[in-house]
Amino acid sequence: MKFKAFLTENGMHLLEKRFLPALDKMGKICHLYLTKDHAMFLHNLLNGDGVQSIAQFRKEALFDDYRISSQNDDRIAFVIDVSLLQRAVRSSVSICSEFGDGPTANRLLIKLVKKLPANSTQPIPFLSFETKGYKSAVIQDVPISKPLSRAQVLELQNALDMTQDLPQTLVQVPDLNQLQNFVDRMRHVGDALNVTISKYGDLHIQISTTLVTLGAEFRKLLVIGEQANATAEDQNLTAQTRSSRAVLRGDGQSVQVSVKHFAKSLHCHLTKPDCAFYGIAPQGACLTVIFQFFIPGSRQTDKSISLHCRIPVLDTGSS
Amino acid sequence: MEEEAPDLLCQLENVQGLVDALSAVRWKRHQDAVVELSEHGIVLIVEESGCLQAKVYLKRELFVRYEYNAQGRPRFGVSLGLFIDCLNTYSVPGQSSSIQIQYPGPDMQVLLKSLDSQDASICAQLRTRIPETFAWDYNFEPAGTNPLTFTVKSAALREAIEDLEWPGSSIQIILQPDPPSVILRGEGHGDLQIDLLYHAHTDLLAAFQCDHRVSFKYKYKFLRATTSNIPGSVIKENRGSKVTIGRGGMLKVQHLIPISKMSVSHPYVDSVGYQQPGRIAYIEFFVKPELSEDSTNDY
Repeated sequence: MKFKAFLTENGMHLLEKRFLPALDKMGKICHLYLTKDHAMFLHNLLNGDGVQSIAQFRKEALFDDYRISSQNDDRIAFVIDVSLLQRAVRSSVSICSEFGDGPTANRLLIKLVKKLPANSTQPIPFLSFETKGYKSAVIQDVPISKPLSRAQVLELQNALDMTQDLPQTLVQVPDLNQLQNFVDRMRHVGDALNVTISKYGDLHIQISTTLVTLGAEFRKLLVIGEQANATAEDQNLTAQTRSSRAVLRGDGQSVQVSVKHFAKSLHCHLTKPDCAFYGIAPQGACLTVIFQFFIPGSRQTDKSISLHCRIPVLDTGSS
Repeated sequence: MEEEAPDLLCQLENVQGLVDALSAVRWKRHQDAVVELSEHGIVLIVEESGCLQAKVYLKRELFVRYEYNAQGRPRFGVSLGLFIDCLNTYSVPGQSSSIQIQYPGPDMQVLLKSLDSQDASICAQLRTRIPETFAWDYNFEPAGTNPLTFTVKSAALREAIEDLEWPGSSIQIILQPDPPSVILRGEGHGDLQIDLLYHAHTDLLAAFQCDHRVSFKYKYKFLRATTSNIPGSVIKENRGSKVTIGRGGMLKVQHLIPISKMSVSHPYVDSVGYQQPGRIAYIEFFVKPELSEDSTNDY
């Protein structure tokens, strides 16, 4: 089992400034899953009930000179502590940028190693970051779990395949900051959030308790996938009635999720996505958030980077 | 079915100001408030243990629209914390957001609605209760022919009360004409006395009126509630609070809380010192004194 690659300058920037800060908020540990073509950071795919987050990079987006080999179809997966990884990348980047320029520019080598830690007889695996400066070399070892077995990798791959089902209707949220600001304040009022998404391009989120109902409605959003024209008679209704009518007509779906989970998924805006879409997976299985990234200086989607979250549903709601 | 006009339909331009004003009387997490509506405006009343009462006066001039259609004065009870938390979701940092408040809704709720954008709106419905009547009357009467009163920088008053936390649970407030001064004194684990001398500290003590010496004791936690939640805008603008001692030692503390963000939206208007009185929310606290062993206080 071997893995060795150089992190490109763009890769350093993507990880250090954008993705690792966001992934750190998603959860302390994640799976790092490396294949012949992709590197993926996966949260909560195998265990439990939290927000699943799937960040996938084509190898060229992060690395050059990417070499991987394993007896399991060149796939390697292990568990890593995101904050440790972030610290290692951050300090390696600062060393690189301090000394590196010209053709002999310093590059950041990442490889999988086994080392004998102090006071131990058993070697343990590390993800090692090697930076060569002008006169010095800095090596940082981030401890990782034992690489996953063939069966575990298969299980992870299956779980990953399960996350690929797209909602039939996706609506684009224009201002993630505004939404985050709102949801952060909403957290004081209640724990469960009803989310309704309609084919008319309406997104309605609402908290209801015995004492208070508090909701926000975003209308006329850009719709991807199945869409329909809003009926004129719905225009002057309250947001709540409008949502339930859309659901009754089969033009909308509604799920209930935890406010905390919803707020957590919004932390993904730290990755600086160019757009974000919300949708409800078929059969109301989960609330899906898809983030898109443009090729810098264009409005074309960068297919080499993808990020999406799946927020578990508390209750199937009225769908 | 013809829809009847609600008792009150009003619109406000700056939610944050309202959040500030109501937060000033929120001294604990769960608090019940009574709201009273009239053609002159809205009054919100909070009370604790029969010893402390706070009122927020929101005059109709504060609102850009104020439609009052009720007979008598409708009153309803509401959870202050929830009310503030709801209003807070309407407030966007760095800009003033408008809301509409309506009472009652179809099920006697308070309805809140954002007005800024057609395509992104926030709605809230707050359940109301039938209010309890207060156990005692906080009728404030002057202590004599001349009021016993002083005006002090809100920040200084708050700081003084915070400093008095350690000595003990009751604080003595003394007003004396010679030399004209206010003395705040705590006794308990130790003694701490804060003297505010009118002639020496004119920057802190803006006004002072007292023709005879009075001294009363108040529970520390009640005194603290009168200043602990003064909004940052009041401190920043260096405003003053007025303290008056009435008949029987009843203490009245008044704050003025700016509701509109004049300095942001109209810098020129502000620079000439023009302030519309309608842009101020009035806050009043009433604190009953502790019963003193010696009745040396003369009225």
